[in-house]
Amino acid sequence: MRGLQLSLNQTQKVRLQRALEKLESLSSKANSNASVIVADSIPVNHEDGLLKGHGTTEFNGEVVATVCGVVERVNKLVYVRSLRARYKPEVGDIIVGRVIEVAPKRWRVEINYSHDAVLMLSSMNLPDGIQRRRTALDELNMRSIFEENDVICAEVRGFQHDGLHLQARSQKYGKLGRGQMLTVPPYLVKRRKQHFHNLEQYGIDLILGCNGFIWVGEHVEVTDDMVVDQVNNSEQQSAKSDVKFFSPGEQERSYTPQETRESICRTANAIRVLSTLGFNITVEVIMETVDLSSSLKQQVPIHEMLGSEFCVLVAEKEAARRSLTKKKG
Amino acid sequence: MEFVSPEGLRLDGRRPMEMRQIRAEIGVVAKADGSAMFEMGNTKVIAAVYGPKEVQNRSQQLNANALVRCEYTMANFSTRRSDEKTKGRSTEISLVIRQTMEECILTNLMPRSQIDIFVQVLQADGGTRSACINAATLALADAGIPMRDLVTSCSAGYLNSTPLLDLNYIEDTCNRRLQGSCRLHREILLENTKQLEYRRGT
Amino acid sequence: MLQNRSYVKRTRGGKITKVVREHYLRHDIYCGTPVCKVCDTSQARLSASASTILILDTNVVLNQIDLIENSAIDDVVVLSIVLEEVKNRNLSVYNRLRALCSNSLRNFFVFSNEHHKDTYVTDMSGESKNDRNDRAIRVAAQWYQTHLAGSVRILLITNDRENKRKAIEEGISAETVESYVRSLSRPDLLDLLVHPASEDVIMEGVEDLRPSKRKIIYPEHKPLSEITTGIRCGIYHQGKLRVNRYNPFEAYVGSQSLSDEIIIYGRANMNRAFDGDIVAVQLLPRDEWNEEKSLAIADEEDEEEEGVHLVPGSADDAPSTTAQSQDSAGETCPVSSRPSGRVVGVIKRNWHSYCGSLEPMAKPAGSGGVAHALFVSKDRRIPKIRIQTRQLENLLDKRITVAVDSWDRLSRYPSGHYVRTIGQIGDKDTETEVVLIENDINTRPFSAQVLGCLPPLPWFVSSEDLENPVREDLRQLRVFSVDPPGCKDIDDALHCTALPNGNFEVGVHIADVTNFVHSGTPLDDEASKRGTSVYLVDRRIDMLPKPLTEDICSLRADVERLAFSVIWEMTSEAEIICTRYTKSVIKSSAALSYVEAQARMDDSRLTDPVTSDLRNMNTLAKIMRSRRIERGALTLASAEVKFQIDTETHDPLDIGMYQIREANQMVEEFMLAANVSVAEKILKHYPLCSLLRRHPTPTREMLEPLLRTAAAVGLNLDVSSSKALADSLDHAVGDDPYFNKLIRILATRCMTQAVYFCSGDLSPPEYLHYGLAAPLYTHFTSPIRRYADVIVHRLLAASLGIQKLPTVFQDGPQLNSIAENLNYRHRNAQMASRASVELHTLIFFKSRPTDTEARVVRLRSNGFFVFVPKFGIEGPVYLTPRGEKGSGEWFVDEQQQRIRKMDGSISYSVLQTVRIHLEIVEPQPNRPKLELKLL
Repeated sequence: MRGLQLSLNQTQKVRLQRALEKLESLSSKANSNASVIVADSIPVNHEDGLLKGHGTTEFNGEVVATVCGVVERVNKLVYVRSLRARYKPEVGDIIVGRVIEVAPKRWRVEINYSHDAVLMLSSMNLPDGIQRRRTALDELNMRSIFEENDVICAEVRGFQHDGLHLQARSQKYGKLGRGQMLTVPPYLVKRRKQHFHNLEQYGIDLILGCNGFIWVGEHVEVTDDMVVDQVNNSEQQSAKSDVKFFSPGEQERSYTPQETRESICRTANAIRVLSTLGFNITVEVIMETVDLSSSLKQQVPIHEMLGSEFCVLVAEKEAARRSLTKKKG
Repeated sequence: MEFVSPEGLRLDGRRPMEMRQIRAEIGVVAKADGSAMFEMGNTKVIAAVYGPKEVQNRSQQLNANALVRCEYTMANFSTRRSDEKTKGRSTEISLVIRQTMEECILTNLMPRSQIDIFVQVLQADGGTRSACINAATLALADAGIPMRDLVTSCSAGYLNSTPLLDLNYIEDTCNRRLQGSCRLHREILLENTKQLEYRRGT
Repeated sequence: MLQNRSYVKRTRGGKITKVVREHYLRHDIYCGTPVCKVCDTSQARLSASASTILILDTNVVLNQIDLIENSAIDDVVVLSIVLEEVKNRNLSVYNRLRALCSNSLRNFFVFSNEHHKDTYVTDMSGESKNDRNDRAIRVAAQWYQTHLAGSVRILLITNDRENKRKAIEEGISAETVESYVRSLSRPDLLDLLVHPASEDVIMEGVEDLRPSKRKIIYPEHKPLSEITTGIRCGIYHQGKLRVNRYNPFEAYVGSQSLSDEIIIYGRANMNRAFDGDIVAVQLLPRDEWNEEKSLAIADEEDEEEEGVHLVPGSADDAPSTTAQSQDSAGETCPVSSRPSGRVVGVIKRNWHSYCGSLEPMAKPAGSGGVAHALFVSKDRRIPKIRIQTRQLENLLDKRITVAVDSWDRLSRYPSGHYVRTIGQIGDKDTETEVVLIENDINTRPFSAQVLGCLPPLPWFVSSEDLENPVREDLRQLRVFSVDPPGCKDIDDALHCTALPNGNFEVGVHIADVTNFVHSGTPLDDEASKRGTSVYLVDRRIDMLPKPLTEDICSLRADVERLAFSVIWEMTSEAEIICTRYTKSVIKSSAALSYVEAQARMDDSRLTDPVTSDLRNMNTLAKIMRSRRIERGALTLASAEVKFQIDTETHDPLDIGMYQIREANQMVEEFMLAANVSVAEKILKHYPLCSLLRRHPTPTREMLEPLLRTAAAVGLNLDVSSSKALADSLDHAVGDDPYFNKLIRILATRCMTQAVYFCSGDLSPPEYLHYGLAAPLYTHFTSPIRRYADVIVHRLLAASLGIQKLPTVFQDGPQLNSIAENLNYRHRNAQMASRASVELHTLIFFKSRPTDTEARVVRLRSNGFFVFVPKFGIEGPVYLTPRGEKGSGEWFVDEQQQRIRKMDGSISYSVLQTVRIHLEIVEPQPNRPKLELKLL
């Protein structure tokens, strides 16, 4: 069992086993033999002009998988969706990444892709919000926007000759602070309409990056005036250049309350548990897991969420949930 | 020395065409993109794959293919014998594994990137090279790197006019051997793939 | 099917290391009984009707292997743990046990208990290895008992009291060997039982009854640790003991630490060592180096008994003549410079079983009782062996084999036990078998594995063979073979075509054996072990299986056969212009015998093509021969004899010297030329791994007896070179026609034998073949009957690029050991043929007392040795009755080589012709011998 390196006691083992079996039985039967591994041949009907997509190749007249994954068919296209691989960007994907280098007119961002992504200074809304040509001065001030090791959020713009380009042309993109970045296998994050979530009852933001990087942080209001405020502040700060010199009011504002911090941790751990169990990560599932952890008779302490007992609980819960949806369906 | 008794049993009780017990596990290195542990009898190796990723040394970058690198090492504790020639042997085996894997990986799909394969022998009892190739294959498949096929390897030898499969250390040291190839580890991967699939739900 | 269990072991000399090895336990190991309903019975070896299945303990196998080999012991389960222990303790017993297990006539089954899931036992703490193994044996016995559920009785045979007790406690029936054999009520089996001294108290009692024997005869052997340190310090020397074939009281030890050989005189100094044992020797002080000898012979009873023998073919066969002459002279021993020593310990015994008969003795009064008897081996190098028997009256006139068990310092002779009876003494088949056993000749039929390597019969040259680009189609050539009459393994054929330019194309075609015998196959291994075919008077023991020997490889007339050809273009002066080697397909047009070929050449009326080819070849051969003699090749003579055998009884009808005709010499000449050509070719390509044959130049000392004899008859031989010797031999023409041949026979006897060697081991000057005066020589022309030729064929094929050279040739030591084995086998085969001829001579004279002429060849103090040219035998003629050695009536004149009666009335000199009477006498019952009497 991949990645599950928990010490389970006997009953836990049995329970987990049962939950997983149930999950297995619930998974759609139609697709049950669609799992392939490298060099498995994929049964196809050759007559209707077939298109071979990713993860396939032709060998001795047969379509053969080149990666381990699930066979998907869309009309004439046959491809294998790889389960365990690095992130494959698509235009418009919302991703979370980490700046690894500040280069002339661009930042290099690590986004769990086979290459580093590029965020051009020109594809970035300037702090003052004005659309204009970027000057040499702007270039000199790049570090005041993002520095190395900053975690940022951006959108995939497309492939250019020199690699994958990102853009951050909205106020909701940009630097992320006061939170945790988690790494999960990219295939666990499905592309959806909404990737930014504000969990109001906990006061936190959740960004499910398509590349498997997930941000859990304190909620930040993204309003235009706030942005102006922030910009003003940051301009002032850039002169002083450090947080230490925040005025008392600002310090209070930048202070994250204990509850929020706990919420961040609880949510992050919930995601970790889901990731170890290999469940899809959606905001609903996360919320349910978080609720599960706090709604039990004895609230599960945050640090025990990664323990075996909770893991088994989550698995059971998931099994129950799916069987319920199944019945409904 | 008699390696196969007239009853057809080898020193350890196998018949000439039997392999040692194998055991494999994937995902043993959390940080890596793909990893595997492979055991053949008392030979135990671990492999980790990083990549495809940005090429570290730009001068080595290939514009049409991925750069595959491989590093084979033997843990100091893997064997009782501490011989000096290990270093050269390691380089050689690294090269062998790299070439084998390079052939198998569809490098043309990942231009300008780099794939690092690290294999380490934790416990040596003959056939380390084969075990390493197997582990590397599993790790690559685990990392989701497109491959033509799964390369698997098993040593075979010809001792006193009997062909023997999967030589252990004693048999290996008195024998010239042939490198063979077979496909045996598919089940492990298939099982794993299926598990991942159903757990993701629909 | 597989279960994994690692265990820890301590091994390797000196250091203690932890070894972890896998140990798989299996479900698919079967019990080997055909009646079993659970197991797979296809591999079953035990008989279905067996009422009792025996399981043997290790000590039983180790000590009682001769008993186990008897067919009365059957339906035996041999446990793998027992095999393993036996292997560690005694390899030769292990090999014998293995042979039993693979013998299809015996029901021995190997049960791999160590890998069976139910019979594997884990080590218990505090348990010794022996105890653990004993327990494993009991567990296996128990398993058999429950597995077969009482349908068959399982009997554990052990001589270990503790093991037996525990077995009975655990409900396994167990017995000692003695009680089991007794229960079989076969008294002859009891003779096979070994009574190890430590175990048997009764034996000691018997010894005590003869107090005279209970004195210490031999010095004690030094403990092994002392020997090892001694060898390291150089006090002792390690080497293999070789006993002189003609004087069992003299032995040599070739030592690595000392470049010279150490001589050991007398049994006391040999200190219970046998021929072939690896011993540690201590050198005697220098002043004792010589006087030991006379003492040694006086010490023991007189065993000297000179029988009638065939004339030796070379110095290796002949008794060491220097020693003999010293014997006869009896005085003026030249001071020996050779170190002598004494054995202080035996490092490795070379005991095996020996052929011979019991020393004649009065039949015991009561039959059935235990009697002690002395066994005399046929091999004179082996001392007498004391055995116990209950069937003395049966054995007295039998050839038997006996194995040695022990030799303690209190007894003069080693003690052993009876193994088996070969047959009646003097019976032809029995004696032939003895000859074969004595010469270590494998007469077993070829195994199924070996026969499996043969091509399917009937075999024909296939179109594939013809299409093979390396194989030349020579079927159109007029090829024929010339061999002895009735020869079935024809390995050479010839052709000779006149070319338009006046030259001749001469081809020697040799059977292409390597096309069928591939390196590394069981067939090849077997041939390599046998080394050569053995020709006895009435039978032939083949090196290769019969279909190959007589059909597939044999170049018979009118069939297409594969060959390896050497083809020369020669001028009419027999100068070789060019040499070509090729694989070929030939079709022999005639298989002639020497007589036929000779008759054709002599009959001037015949003008058919084959005859004219023969004549051409003969002309060429004569030129080549004369040129060879010019170079200094020796024409040596041997006294080969030929029997006419009765087709019904296979008894010899007539006996006579083998006549050598021109046709023989012609074929021989071309074979020599082919061998030389091939030797040059392979050495050029493989200077380090060619198999060649050399004949060492004899030293002056070796030629000494020849010179002395020649001098006595007024002949001056020049031995400075082979050329000089050949010339002086040519000039040695006496007054009678046989004189020259006699001298040549004597000369031959002084030479050592030619030997095979690996070219990398010696420097080129040493490659010389003295007798043929050829700088290079090898054997290429008889691959059907000699393995050396097979090797040379492979080398030649590789040097022509036809085949890859097998990997054996890269392995120097292994190649060397092959050459050694070939020499050993070759020599044994020769000894066996000679012994066979001797045997038939004896049978021939049994019913035909004959008077004939003989020549005196060697003098002794009480008579002389004569050579009987007509029968090719040599034997002593006593002038005084035996036992009165050197009574003084006769006097030997060393200088003039004559023996004279004291009163001067009669004298005999060397090479003188005498008339003798040959007759078989039986001085002791069942011991016929040929006696020569002066008329």
